[in-house]
Amino acid sequence: MDWSALHVSLTLAALTTLALLPVGLALARWLAVTAWAGRPVVEALLLLPLLLPPTVIGFYFLVAFGQGSAWGAWLAASGVRLVFTLEGLLLVSVLVNLPFMVQPIQRAFAAVPHSLREAAWVSGLSSWQTFWRIELPLAWPGLLAGMALTVAHTLGEFGVVLMVGGNIEGETRTLSVSLYDKVQGMDLQSAHVMALALVGISLLALSLVLAFDRVGQRGRALQER
Amino acid sequence: MPGLQVQLRSASPIRLEAEFDCGAGELVALVGPSGSGKTSMLRAIAGLWTPADVQGRIQVDGQSWLDTAAGVHLSPQARRAGLVFQHYALFPHMTAHANVALAAGPGWTGEDVQALLQRLGLAGLSQRRPMQLSGGQQQRVALARALVRVMPRPSSASRAAVPEPVPGVLLLDEPFSAVDAPTRQTLYRELAGLRQKVSVPMVLVTHDLAEARRLADRVVIVDAGQTLQTGEPARVFASPRNARVAELVGIQNHFEGCFFKDQDGWGRLRWTDAPPSGAGVDLAVFDKNKIDDGTPVTWVLNGEQVDVVADAGAPGVAEPGQTRLRCQLLEVLSLAEISLCTLRPQDLPSQTITLNLTSRQLRRLEVGAGGWVQLLIAPQALHIMPVRTK
Repeated sequence: MDWSALHVSLTLAALTTLALLPVGLALARWLAVTAWAGRPVVEALLLLPLLLPPTVIGFYFLVAFGQGSAWGAWLAASGVRLVFTLEGLLLVSVLVNLPFMVQPIQRAFAAVPHSLREAAWVSGLSSWQTFWRIELPLAWPGLLAGMALTVAHTLGEFGVVLMVGGNIEGETRTLSVSLYDKVQGMDLQSAHVMALALVGISLLALSLVLAFDRVGQRGRALQER
Repeated sequence: MPGLQVQLRSASPIRLEAEFDCGAGELVALVGPSGSGKTSMLRAIAGLWTPADVQGRIQVDGQSWLDTAAGVHLSPQARRAGLVFQHYALFPHMTAHANVALAAGPGWTGEDVQALLQRLGLAGLSQRRPMQLSGGQQQRVALARALVRVMPRPSSASRAAVPEPVPGVLLLDEPFSAVDAPTRQTLYRELAGLRQKVSVPMVLVTHDLAEARRLADRVVIVDAGQTLQTGEPARVFASPRNARVAELVGIQNHFEGCFFKDQDGWGRLRWTDAPPSGAGVDLAVFDKNKIDDGTPVTWVLNGEQVDVVADAGAPGVAEPGQTRLRCQLLEVLSLAEISLCTLRPQDLPSQTITLNLTSRQLRRLEVGAGGWVQLLIAPQALHIMPVRTK
């Protein structure tokens, strides 16, 4: 077992989830209620990472932040290194995980009947209080599902990690990349252990997603009564 | 000025011409078919719906909630409207107590909320969530949540000699449509009891005429975004302002005709049969000098003021002004004590009159379907309206 890789993977998953949660929450809540005509475009942009090969995203990231671009050169001069660092990996990880975080949360907010918001307003609650006391408590299963999906997807990410992070031990070598190394080096024993660990973590995360989704459905069924 | 006054006008997204008021402690029912705009009017009062082009005013106890001329437009939070939603819209993640406490302002303690729930028969259920309550119980929680918005603060009542008045309104959007019939009867009684204790204007939206008639002090007939007629239920039902109102309040026996002036305050209502017969019958009516000679009218025959007598035997003495109309009994539908009778006037073969006779009346007439009777129609039984001009 490559413990350092496991550590990198878990760190990346935790940081991605933490960084993405506020962004995803704001985006998802906005998308769930907005009547703005440009909404489908924003939704398409958010879903794009699901369809694009990770190499495309990694490539554009290198183009944008590599030393070759003016922006990348300026960053390097300011002492910020994003290519082949955990920070850079985190940035791109947040980007590719947007759909996994936003989708379940958006669905959860959209499932809150509008009449409940109105009931809160006529009860004297401001929009902000309505969000905290009514909408968020009803949408929390969606939040948990989004977080679990993000964790699982970050652990499984391979292409982007390889392109953006390289393969630096203790910095950007994640479990999935390490597994690839081990297979290349014919160390099948270690590969088995890591593959099993990834299967286990992903299965756990997906089970949690489904369990939260069921809680969410029960909540919705109850609101429709 | 105490109570609620509403004057609203807008052209889109739906045409709206609303004008009605509701005194403190009064219950006014907005009645109309679905899609007539009655719920939109209610939502406009609560501040949940404001068309962009709206013109008009909503005032509660002299306070402007909306005044387009003065640029006043209060938020729903600032309006103190207790609204009972059609499907209650209770917060599913909160207990009954928390649902009500959320809407209670400062000055309401947990015990005050509990006391209110107790008054509504929910004492033992306050810690339940909406899902664990029956439809009728949910409705009462929704009512309690609306009430705390418009009731005086309990603590102020104990401290100050006179409880501060709350400029509020209670709005009920089809509150009885989602519960079963026995529960509805109980809730009717509770609403009546509630009115003894709370003296804010109450506006009830319903499509159920019987409900409006039973609960409301006054009804407002709403159709296609317009308030057509306002008045005491009995009055509106007996004298609809025009044919559309008559149709909406479900009046039977409403017909077309033509009004002619006679002498000494009398007039004639010419009831013409459809072609090919084209025959006509004249009914004596009062001339109140409101309708010009020869005006086409719609008119309503109030069955409760029609005497039905046997066809055989002596003609009997008709009172002055009474019109005698010989009719054939086409059909008799007996519903317990009441028989729904369909009659066809002898001279007007394409017209039918529907009357509710008691089974006892029918037995006394000794007549069944196919037999003949005579109707004695007093002028008071005829209500004449000008044909509605668009």
